[in-house]
Amino acid sequence: MPDLASGLVAHIRDNSARLAAPCTACGECYRACPMVPRTPALADAAPATVMAGIRDILRDQPGTPEAIAFAGACVRSGTCTDACPEKLDAAFLMRLASLRVRGALGDTPRVTASHDARWSARVKAFARLTMTDEERAEWL
Amino acid sequence: MAVTADANVTFWYGCNMARHGEIVRLVTQMLEAVGVAAAPAGGPAYCCGSPQEANARIAAGMAARTVEKFNAAGRDMVVTWCPSCHMNMDDLMAPVTEAAFETQHITQLLVARAERLRPLLTHEVPARVLLHAHHGFHGRVPVNTDVPALLGMIPGLTMREHELRVPGHMCSAIAPRPGELARAHRDTLAAMEEAGADTLATVFHSCHREAVALERGRPIRVANWIHLLADAMGLPYADEYKLWRNAEDPRAAIGHDRVAAAGDVAFEQLVEPELRRAPPMQNGIP
Repeated sequence: MPDLASGLVAHIRDNSARLAAPCTACGECYRACPMVPRTPALADAAPATVMAGIRDILRDQPGTPEAIAFAGACVRSGTCTDACPEKLDAAFLMRLASLRVRGALGDTPRVTASHDARWSARVKAFARLTMTDEERAEWL
Repeated sequence: MAVTADANVTFWYGCNMARHGEIVRLVTQMLEAVGVAAAPAGGPAYCCGSPQEANARIAAGMAARTVEKFNAAGRDMVVTWCPSCHMNMDDLMAPVTEAAFETQHITQLLVARAERLRPLLTHEVPARVLLHAHHGFHGRVPVNTDVPALLGMIPGLTMREHELRVPGHMCSAIAPRPGELARAHRDTLAAMEEAGADTLATVFHSCHREAVALERGRPIRVANWIHLLADAMGLPYADEYKLWRNAEDPRAAIGHDRVAAAGDVAFEQLVEPELRRAPPMQNGIP
């Protein structure tokens, strides 16, 4: 489905640019993130520098190792949005950066994403135990 | 369970909720009880694309197919359960493939119909409940206040407050990071003790399937918020995932005939390893 794929890719690129433009890289979102103290690669990182790297990632640039680590550490806590003085949807900004460092746009992944290769089969196997034949026929 | 052909909403329960068929059933019954006829839809055929998010080409196809199926169903509303599905619909799906429906989270719909739900909660549920709350998703849908508001209507049940918020939008987000789930569980047990809670109420399925192991060797109950509402409504159910996950021999707990009917090889390769894996926080470690 090339049109669908290009539609999502364009959506990711457009919103990356839209959110990177007003971001001042002040680092308030970084300071509010509960994952920062849990991520050893960010131990000595400066918030403003990391966020400047995040803006680079959103602008199709490679980004710094710290910015890549921060994007890879995002677990969608959303505390960044409340912290943003520019009232940006910082959670979506970080989601886009996270997708991009995982290689969503087709480039080489910069962080390793966990992936259950047998997810679909596993879901269906559980469904055979928890749902009736009729339910599976109508609900799946 | 019969599916309403004249359903006016789709209950999009997501993918991994297939482990908890009783929750799908209970939600459908609850919605019907408050005047909403819901048709459940989920599993890989209705994927939001999240499992393939590292590849926009694949995720886009999955997401578009799901939106188109919901459009074709012709219902005005899709009621979500999974926070990943809900946020993906808002952020990545509907903006790319035009959606002919409104999206609302199940908690929002039940809160909106709370006065129809309240008189149905007739059975006492003696429990001192701590909500298993995450930071995430609450900014999108206020689950950390809406779920306690709903549970607070149950006779005999008291909600216990605590400031603990686990990172992420649900436990599957932190599960791949070494030690994070164990830390979340340790913090949760400490919060239960501090708050004087005897029951942990999970909000989402991925949290529930990890948290149920906390019952092992501890005088606490882990229940999903839907289970607690079902108790209060007198709706029968069994939390089979919890029974299986905490059984010494999951195969025996399920029953050999049932395993055979579901497929012995699939059970051994896909189901049993998950049910037998060690809990994030080993029993007995504080």
